[in-house]
Amino acid sequence: MEQMPRLLPGLIITIELSLIGFLIATILGVPLGVFRAYNPPIIFTFIIDLYVFVVRGTPILVQIYAAYFLLPLMGIKLSPFWIGIVALTFNSAGYQIEIARAAILSIDNGQYEGAFSLGLGKMRTLLSIILPQAFLRMLPPMANEMSNLIKASSVLSVITVFELHKAANAIISDTFKFLEMLFAQAVLYVVFVVLMTQLSIYLEKRIGTRLQIKNFSQR
Amino acid sequence: MSLDLAFMQQIFPDMLGAFWLSVQISLITVVLSVILGILLTAARMLGGTLTKYVIISFVEFTRGAPPLVHISIIYFLIPEFGIVFNEFWTGVIALSLIGAGYSVEIFRGAIDAISSSQLDASKALGFTQVQSFRLVLLPQAYRLSLPPLTNELANVIKATSLLSVISVNELTKVANDLIFVHFVVIEVIIQLTALYLIIVGCLMFLSKYLEARLKF
Repeated sequence: MEQMPRLLPGLIITIELSLIGFLIATILGVPLGVFRAYNPPIIFTFIIDLYVFVVRGTPILVQIYAAYFLLPLMGIKLSPFWIGIVALTFNSAGYQIEIARAAILSIDNGQYEGAFSLGLGKMRTLLSIILPQAFLRMLPPMANEMSNLIKASSVLSVITVFELHKAANAIISDTFKFLEMLFAQAVLYVVFVVLMTQLSIYLEKRIGTRLQIKNFSQR
Repeated sequence: MSLDLAFMQQIFPDMLGAFWLSVQISLITVVLSVILGILLTAARMLGGTLTKYVIISFVEFTRGAPPLVHISIIYFLIPEFGIVFNEFWTGVIALSLIGAGYSVEIFRGAIDAISSSQLDASKALGFTQVQSFRLVLLPQAYRLSLPPLTNELANVIKATSLLSVISVNELTKVANDLIFVHFVVIEVIIQLTALYLIIVGCLMFLSKYLEARLKF
């Protein structure tokens, strides 16, 4: 138990990896997913679908190895930490495209008709009618994706990123206290994941009530 | 970047052997995790408070910690009790437990989605609890849970790649070894990706087929 402080740097790196990876993936993935939802020209549809299929069809470990071996071949030299970010972003963006697409498609057609009949333009409809509702529906699957990403970051230990799992392994090879260390890191992961899920439930409630209040006051 | 096709041909038998092992692990794991998931769901629905909380904490534990951690725990924990499996079975047990944890959640969600009047009706018709679970709830829950279950099984299949860290000679491990022996990267990774896409693609095709057949 007195080894716990030695896990903290690992925990911090895990948190950094998952938050940065998730943020970049959201910035890339959500606009692409929204774009995909409106049936763009066939060439874009094909490229996005192929990308999503490859991301969803291959293990994160393979994607990490691919980033680790292929990036240097293309002349891009990064530290393992940033290679990890690239791999996690590549992975998560694929899932987030699907999440965003599904959320947009789940919005009822009447919303468009109502907005158009009120004289709103296409862009205006998308930005102020469709997206706010879609974001609310994206929250639960996004929380799922976040917890997947946190768990995927443990795999980065194989390319020597010093995150929680790697830190725990290092302590295990020092002290041979493997059961204690394994459970300690499992508990840390569970706490982090549960915190993020709770955050999403909180956000969902807050945004949900605000949307409802707005609708109510407009009535 | 040009591809060395002769080299790709040369490594293909090795990759195919590993592919076969990955397929075996995936199949056993998929079957075990679905069976275990159904049993645990039944126990959760029918059992007492203690059973319920044990299963809930098991589910939270499998969903909250990374598969890599579960695999290490089982890899180190089982020998402590004097039971020695080889790496293959250690991996299968770890992945089945993870898969079972996720399927319990999926089955529970599906059963919750079936209205409780179904249960009342089966009670009124004089079914026992076990009968109404087996004959009324399960067949309906099966249809509802098929799409999320396929997703989860695809995740479990992809998690077999993690078994490379406990030296199971599956696809990723063999590919990694080939990279370090020959210092050729792109050819190996392309084959690796294609082979995984084949396994997961088959699963998705199967699920589409089953879903189409099971439509109400």
